Amino acid sequence: MQYKSQSVAYWYFAVAMTLFGLQLVFGLLSAAKYLGPDPLLYILPFDVTKVIHTNLLIVWVLTGFMGATYWMVPDESRTELHSTKLAYVQLVLWTLMGVTAVIGYLFRYGTGNKLLEQPLPHKIVIVICMLIFLYNISMTIKKSGRFTTTEGVLLLGLFSSAVLFLPALLHYENYTVSIFYRWWTIHLWVEGVWMMIMAAFMAYLLIRLSGADREVMEKWLYVIVGLVFIAGILGTAHHYYWVGVPSYWLPIGGFFSALEPAALVAMSIYAYGAIRRAGLGHPNKLALHWTIGSALFTLFGAGLLGLAHTWPSVNKWTHGTLITAMHGHAAFYGAYVMIVLAMITYAAPSLTRNRPESGSSLGYWAFWMQITGMFGMTLSFATAGIGQVYLERIMGMGYLDAQLKIQVHFLMLIATASIFTIGVALFIYDFFRYAPRFISDDEPQLNVVDARSNA
Amino acid sequence: MNNRQARMFAIAGTGLSVLIFLGLTLHSHSKFDELTNAENITPQVTHGKDVWHKYNCINCHTLFGEGAYYAPDLTKITQHRGAAYLQAYMRDPSKFYDENKHRRLMPKQNLSEEEITDLIAFLDWVSKVDNQGWPPRPILVTGGFIPGSDSVGAVASGEGTAAAAIRPVTAADDPRAQGEHVFRTATPACNACHSTAPGANMAGPTLAGIATRAAELVGSALYKGNATDVEGYIRESIIAPSNHLVAGDMYSANGASFMPIGYEETLTAEQLDNLVAYLATFK
Ligand code: HEM
Ligand SMILES: [Fe+2]
Repeated sequence: MQYKSQSVAYWYFAVAMTLFGLQLVFGLLSAAKYLGPDPLLYILPFDVTKVIHTNLLIVWVLTGFMGATYWMVPDESRTELHSTKLAYVQLVLWTLMGVTAVIGYLFRYGTGNKLLEQPLPHKIVIVICMLIFLYNISMTIKKSGRFTTTEGVLLLGLFSSAVLFLPALLHYENYTVSIFYRWWTIHLWVEGVWMMIMAAFMAYLLIRLSGADREVMEKWLYVIVGLVFIAGILGTAHHYYWVGVPSYWLPIGGFFSALEPAALVAMSIYAYGAIRRAGLGHPNKLALHWTIGSALFTLFGAGLLGLAHTWPSVNKWTHGTLITAMHGHAAFYGAYVMIVLAMITYAAPSLTRNRPESGSSLGYWAFWMQITGMFGMTLSFATAGIGQVYLERIMGMGYLDAQLKIQVHFLMLIATASIFTIGVALFIYDFFRYAPRFISDDEPQLNVVDARSNA
Repeated sequence: MNNRQARMFAIAGTGLSVLIFLGLTLHSHSKFDELTNAENITPQVTHGKDVWHKYNCINCHTLFGEGAYYAPDLTKITQHRGAAYLQAYMRDPSKFYDENKHRRLMPKQNLSEEEITDLIAFLDWVSKVDNQGWPPRPILVTGGFIPGSDSVGAVASGEGTAAAAIRPVTAADDPRAQGEHVFRTATPACNACHSTAPGANMAGPTLAGIATRAAELVGSALYKGNATDVEGYIRESIIAPSNHLVAGDMYSANGASFMPIGYEETLTAEQLDNLVAYLATFK
């Protein structure tokens, strides 16, 4: 850690890891309900466990993004953060928002609008936190006067995420119109501006970990961002297929969303190329695993499995089945979970005491068990979803009867989810087992010399 | 390509996409009202939508295929089930489904009668939105187009008979729920030949929409039987299928329906009443 204010990242990561653990508890509960019968039917029904599962995901991934940004910006701009105090105020406010929202969901206090269930007061706090965050980061960069392309892409991604949240604050009388704008937030986040955030973290990590040439990396970063938006913006239409909007969105959605994997292919080539041409071997090989893993898993989960059902004539049959769950899990995990875990793994040796720079074998177990577990979960959802599509959608068997026929896949889901959960538990344990470095303001700056300072 | 060109590519590509997207969005706004029958969004429908949100329905069910995948899609539910059935169902789902058979049950939501009525109004509005004809084939809650497909669970549970897969009912249950039971358990079972899915004719015509068809028929000159109302027509069709014939060579010949007779003897009067009550919900 070159700049002591970077240590705020530790607390963001700590909150993120805690909520990640909690997310999985509710995920496993939800999966168990697929098997049924449900002894908790009147205490914690499926809708409650599911809404908590998805909301915790969004909250902790964003917490991870913020922590990773607070870590990365001082490195890139070569300066201390504008205000660590603001960063802590923001974290406390943000965590309170997340925790009270979850408690509220237990009592069905929410908007009942998928993924945007946060009640209005919570949404307003989210906006306030984003504003504090963007202000703090912008001031940091402004003070330093050094502004890299990687940082610029990251900042633009974060800023646009905040802007795209605004339609979610409005109320729509017409259910179809409300769906239309819901995707401005959800789709344009995950297949648009969050991709910028991910690509920026990836560029940062590849430059630091493999010593790849910054000029080249940043040029490709532009290309990737361009591809993401050319395909992703009009690709929003793949959510407009059967919801009551004009039919011209069908071919548009099919064509442009089929182009979306291009950016993900580019990203994988970019990551692979970077390690091939690597001039410098950074000792943190574990972080490199997470980084490259993220690029490849995104290609699989988002690119391949997204493509699998994005064409209207296919989506007509798969829409609203477990096929969507298959893709959602693999894509989110590869793109956003893994990139946050990569940033954490990269920063952890500096943020905590006595942690070996190269990662421990526990860390590798965490990596491989998560990959295996998530791959297995994806296959379970896929096989269940394929069964569902044929039985229910094509042959016309009733929903409840078809679900009975695919029970065995739910068993497989629970088994693989358990492997995944163990992998996550190991990661969380590995994160918390080394104490954080506490640096009081009057202490002289730490003198950690490593490859990072070369970049 | 140099760095500057790469940047131009990103900016120009993004800018152009944003412009097209915003243009199409504007145009879509001019079509929303027509496609969604916005004039039918009454205060009732709006309240029904609020009920839908308030009870977090979307986190088990899907609407327009969006939501959670734990419970059936409800986009066209009001075209499969009559309002009376839905009203009774939402008062207490456990009267209609058995958690031990389907391993899943909708928890009772304690909705007020008004909430239920408005929710049904909302769902009915949803079912009429022009959404490119999705789903391409009806999505059913239970049963199926394939004869017997909903009773396979019986084999799995080792109980042998087809009837065992079907939730047992007691006299305390809603008459329509008991009627549904009869529909599957009578000998021969009605669902061996009739589906309740629109357009899915099997050996017999689909019973989806039977109440609406019957209402139109009984007053008309085409009708040859003795019934004067919907319930009467359904009852007559069960016990004396040849009194009025549904057109089609696959359904009858020489003035006699292919449907078996004898239900008057094999069903009790109460079972018959319940069956009629159940079928009369298919509007
Ligand atoms: C990292 C990138 C991506 C993430 C995190 C992601 C995540 C998700 C999630 C969570 C959903 C479910 C949303 C819901 O049901 O409310 C979804 C739906 C969908 N995604 Fe993606 N996705 C990504 C990329 C892609 C790509 C590249 C494609 C196409 C090539 C794609 C195609 C689709 C389609 C067609 C649906 C709608 C499925 C349906 O409801 O019929 N996604 N995505
Ligand atoms: Fe999407």
